[in-house]
Amino acid sequence: MDLAVDLSGITKRFGAFTANDSIDLAVRRGEIHAIIGENGAGKTTLMNILFGLLQPDEGTISIGGRTMLVDSPAVAIHEGLGMVHQHFKLVPSLTVADNIFLGMEIRRNGLIDRAAQVERTRVLSEKFGLRVDPQERVAGLSVGIEQRIEILKVLARNARIIILDEPTAVLTPQESRDLFQTLRSFVDDGMTVIFISHHLEEVMAVSDTVTVLRDGRVVATKPKSALNKRELVRLMVGRDVSFDRRPRTPNEGTVALDVTDLWARDDRRLTALKSVGLTVRAGEIVGIAGVAGNGQTELAEVLSGLRPASRGRAQLHGHDILDRTPAEIRNRGLAHVPGDRMVRGVDRNASLSANILMGRQTKRPFSRLGLIDWTTVHDAMRALIQRFDIRARGPKDPARSLSGGNIQKVVLAREFTAGGDVLLIDQPTRGVDIGAQEAIHDEIMRQRADGRAILLISTQLDELKALADRILVMFDGRIMGAVDGAVVDDDAIGLMMAGIDPAEMTEAS
Amino acid sequence: MTNRLFFRELFSKGLARTLTGQALAFAIALALGAVIILMIDESPVAVFLTLMRGAFGDTEKIAGTLLQTTPILICGIAACIALRGGMFNVGIEGQLFLGGFAAAWVGFAFSLPPVLHVLAAMTLAVIAGALWIAIPAFFRVRFGTNEVVSTILANYIATLLTSYFTIFLFKRPGGWSETPPILTSAYLPELFSFSRLNIGLLIGLALAVGVTAFFRWTSAGYAATMVGSAPKFAEYGGVNVRRVGFGVLLVSGAVGGLAGGVETLGVHHRFMEGFAPGFGFDGLIAALLANGSPIGTIFTALFFGALRAGSLLLEVDTTASREIITVIQALIILAVSADLMMPRRGDRTGERRWKF
Repeated sequence: MDLAVDLSGITKRFGAFTANDSIDLAVRRGEIHAIIGENGAGKTTLMNILFGLLQPDEGTISIGGRTMLVDSPAVAIHEGLGMVHQHFKLVPSLTVADNIFLGMEIRRNGLIDRAAQVERTRVLSEKFGLRVDPQERVAGLSVGIEQRIEILKVLARNARIIILDEPTAVLTPQESRDLFQTLRSFVDDGMTVIFISHHLEEVMAVSDTVTVLRDGRVVATKPKSALNKRELVRLMVGRDVSFDRRPRTPNEGTVALDVTDLWARDDRRLTALKSVGLTVRAGEIVGIAGVAGNGQTELAEVLSGLRPASRGRAQLHGHDILDRTPAEIRNRGLAHVPGDRMVRGVDRNASLSANILMGRQTKRPFSRLGLIDWTTVHDAMRALIQRFDIRARGPKDPARSLSGGNIQKVVLAREFTAGGDVLLIDQPTRGVDIGAQEAIHDEIMRQRADGRAILLISTQLDELKALADRILVMFDGRIMGAVDGAVVDDDAIGLMMAGIDPAEMTEAS
Repeated sequence: MTNRLFFRELFSKGLARTLTGQALAFAIALALGAVIILMIDESPVAVFLTLMRGAFGDTEKIAGTLLQTTPILICGIAACIALRGGMFNVGIEGQLFLGGFAAAWVGFAFSLPPVLHVLAAMTLAVIAGALWIAIPAFFRVRFGTNEVVSTILANYIATLLTSYFTIFLFKRPGGWSETPPILTSAYLPELFSFSRLNIGLLIGLALAVGVTAFFRWTSAGYAATMVGSAPKFAEYGGVNVRRVGFGVLLVSGAVGGLAGGVETLGVHHRFMEGFAPGFGFDGLIAALLANGSPIGTIFTALFFGALRAGSLLLEVDTTASREIITVIQALIILAVSADLMMPRRGDRTGERRWKF
């Protein structure tokens, strides 16, 4: 068998914690090999070892059939490896070509030969079908194009084995599809792709072979054809997890949130919301589907008072909330789980207690006469750690010491107990482990049963199909249409997400 | 804004790590200082011993050190207040000058009963400091003008303004550029008979404790801390970020003004042109070295006070110029900030960090 990469018996310990426990990984030349596992399963550690960023405590690395010591990324690059990191490392003020040749500039007479760099970029770009404008500045380009530049950077260094770390986390479905096509063409060219992910759909869509890691160990390596989604989840999590539609009883009450003809602009002053109208009743989950960046975030921000509306009306229990401050809207009963939880949702450096105090620092029983009763806050946090199964040692832990899923649980715990009866939930499970996703979905269903009105924004259709009573689809700042959550037609939603009105389609046909 | 990120990083490190890092930085700075002292043909040991003797040699010298420490401490607390709210008040020097002048003016222009006179003068000093920073603070919250730049520039106007007042409007008859002396009813009570050390030191210590308690245990202090460390989170949680930013700068400026009042009413008993060189800046640096902690600032301010006091003996007993303490101070600042900039090699996840 012609192996591009052969890792055998790789073990890596950090103190008492074993991140990789005698891992064997054989990647054949010319295949797309997915490495899948939950956060903390050891995927990134393993790839950093392969790329020379970390040294294994035990085990050997062979590249192209030769066993060698990979003690720096320079060695890995020399052997034809290239790594595309999850967080791009580009210089925004430089052009595309300058970024690609950064550190290996083409020189003539000691000066950078920009024309040659542009030409080389153009050749690479055409050869691999990765369309970029070499002379454009990186600042202002979309993440999809930024990723193309990162891949071109790797190709310009003559990589034949390409490692991608969570490549689709930041992409729209369309951009993901383009990426998969590109990866396929690499393999057809005889290159090898190693692809790290915790996203089931894309692993099933693109890979030839799948290696599943759990708790630092390989639990399975199988050809994709021998796997299905349910089995993959069981291998990853170690138990069965269901993402079927949640059973429910009708529970609808009065209208809690009423939005009509709402308009707003985004940060670039472009119109982001165009005549949005919706209602959410108590005891109902209304889902907002759509590709990221079609106005969902702006909608959440306008409703929570963080962004001004251009015009329109929004009422919370019959009270106008536009032009109100975030504090006033909170006091009227709106709780908000923000989409960007690391920036908006928590102070990563503050303790868990300080994080759940936000929004209630002047309210009893947490504060009296302007003084904070930290004992009460710590007790409340301890209770929330119990109730929401937050993996933390105690209320004084800094938020940054928790995993992404547990930080999300802290945000949910704070907002669900804030006393609001309208919940605005933006991307509840983005970047959250599958096991934790299930717990978060359970909690959202409990809030519905308690009679809360829930507006649920998600880019993951599966999540909306499992939870929402009704699904509205947003495209380019508009609500394209609504579907019943119980009888979702994927094709109809897909068309609406792409901006095509299904009614027009039927009329045309 | 880069200085905000810088401070988040600064606050995020563990206390033990910070302390060992700073001790190391001090050691490196002192070693470099020793090299420079050798270059001017003096013995580093003799210089350091003389500095120590000049700062702590006897009770009078200790009192002298504390006298120098007081304005640095109060200015340092002013800086801490702004830092906690995510703001940089580099204009403490200017607030100190205007506060000092305002207190002196009340001291010589009015005749009031003893305690009331001090209170009135202090109140005006506080108001003067607050009003002076209100201008850059307004531009900061209304138009997003960088307060580092605007407060620095305000210093020049403030010092020159007080010079103008002293030379052209309120000059004492005679040679010096200074105002008439304040009435004895406006003197701050002195602590000992042998020194001008006064209750200003106690005011500074009380402020350090009070400010720490405010940020730790009040709702408003919590909101200000959150605005400083995670402004978008605070905004989302319903905190009025602009109002807090304005308020934090205003209080910081008020404390800067207070420092000036303490200096004129307690030490000089008049306003002199250029009366308090560099206390505002030393205070800011003391606060930075203490990571924005008012309690920590007590110790860093004491250190700077000791250097200043010790340097007086330096010129008497050795051939070294007292400017050497400025060099040592600068080295310490460099060493401490270099430690902050050092990349963290390998954190708990074991991944290397390439970013600086």
